[in-house]
Amino acid sequence: MTGPRPSPDRAAGESSPLPALAAIVAVARFQIDRLLTPPRLALAAIGVIFPTAVLLAAAKARDASLDHDLGAILLYALVPEAVCMLGLLVTISPAVADELERGTWVHVAVRPGGRRALLLGTWLAAVLWTGAVALLGLLLALLTGVISNGWSLLGPFTILVCLSCIGRAALFALPAVIVPKRSLVASVGVALVVEYLAGLIPAVINQLTVSLRLHTLLVRFMDWQRTLAPELQLLIDDRPPSAQVAAVLLLAVVYLAIAVAILEWRQFPPSEES
Amino acid sequence: MIEVENLVKHYRSSSGEIVRAVDGVSFAVNPGEMVGLLGANGAGKTTTLRMLATLLTPTSGTARVGGCDVATDPVGARRRLGYVSATTGVPDRLSAREILHSFGALHGLRGDALEARVARLIDVLDLARCADRPAGRLSSGQRQRVSVGRALVHDPPALVLDEPTNALDVLGARDLLAFLAGLRGDGRAILLSSHRLHEIENRCDRFVLIHGGRVVAAGTRDAFVGQSGGLEEAFFAAIGEARPE
Repeated sequence: MTGPRPSPDRAAGESSPLPALAAIVAVARFQIDRLLTPPRLALAAIGVIFPTAVLLAAAKARDASLDHDLGAILLYALVPEAVCMLGLLVTISPAVADELERGTWVHVAVRPGGRRALLLGTWLAAVLWTGAVALLGLLLALLTGVISNGWSLLGPFTILVCLSCIGRAALFALPAVIVPKRSLVASVGVALVVEYLAGLIPAVINQLTVSLRLHTLLVRFMDWQRTLAPELQLLIDDRPPSAQVAAVLLLAVVYLAIAVAILEWRQFPPSEES
Repeated sequence: MIEVENLVKHYRSSSGEIVRAVDGVSFAVNPGEMVGLLGANGAGKTTTLRMLATLLTPTSGTARVGGCDVATDPVGARRRLGYVSATTGVPDRLSAREILHSFGALHGLRGDALEARVARLIDVLDLARCADRPAGRLSSGQRQRVSVGRALVHDPPALVLDEPTNALDVLGARDLLAFLAGLRGDGRAILLSSHRLHEIENRCDRFVLIHGGRVVAAGTRDAFVGQSGGLEEAFFAAIGEARPE
């Protein structure tokens, strides 16, 4: 018998109703399973090792361990910024775009959770994957003892990593659903224009960037606000840390709501698929 | 089980023109029946099937699966429908067993019920010998069987397949169609599109021919073929094309 046998029996009945959160978690598990490939794991290993390698190189150049403040600045640039940003760029943008471009999204979208679960599950997978890489990178950097009194940075930097992943994964979901065929390029553009350029402009648009909230939190956590140069004061927000955390979470909700609305509304004619 | 009434789907093309991909299509598929949706490329078959699968929103008209309107109760329709797209979209790295588990979980199946369902599908789809091999190392026929299993994992009473034999050789196509005939005997409503008429000529109970987004002919094989001699001849006659020599 080379082919399937006809007349399979029917299963016990219809599947049980799946709550929205369970559908999102099920999609996230599926996406994480798909991420467990040798190239992805190699990339993740680089993400874990990279911050420590840079910090050790900086310490070697100074012939001493890094003082607390300098270490914090370098660690911030390396982990919540570089590792999180790059990790998310190579995770959520290709994941969403790949689903939409190759037509594989339909197999998930025809399940009860629909497109909403597809997007939110993919977002959750990207946050968990990138967050795990960044936190392992942070732990490894602190374990080497290259930063003076480095362990005091663990709590604040864990918060920064989590917020960076949550907010920026939501931000990068937008270009992925708007221009799936060019999602990586569009996401890099968003990262540069929104997160870096706009994040450095002391204007109202700053309020919509994750960067502003992370910069502000870093300054507050490190208690640098009194010693910060006046021109740099313009780049941070006056409100307390709790307001910054709430702002990032609110931004993530707004970005995701827009991305879900676009995905629900968009029609993908068969001719658009490659 | 599957009811389509005056279904319409219009797109706006990149040049701003209205494209009438589906223009007032009506048909029904009853439980225990296999219906072939025929048409040339671009006739509107895939667009019709995608509206049934809730992947596209109808411009007007209604489509119901198991009594659930795809526009007003898409979740209900999805629970009652298994959908096999023209592209298998089977992840290369995951095995058949992992894929069936993942998609069963997307329907809320878990624990022993999920294990039993996956084991049963692996058995009836004859995937036992390759169930734990990465899908990237499976043959086209095996991948298509995984794709069918993924559509059946929640035991839907209705099944929609978009050109399921496209990537298969003659033997693979024969096996798959025999399997579908078994599902029909099981009481499911099956709608499959194809432009390989010879493959499905003697498999389907009825045919619906779409051309230019409209139904141009429908009925049983005998009624459809009439005096023309064969399904292909009837097809060419219905769309107003001479059969190539």
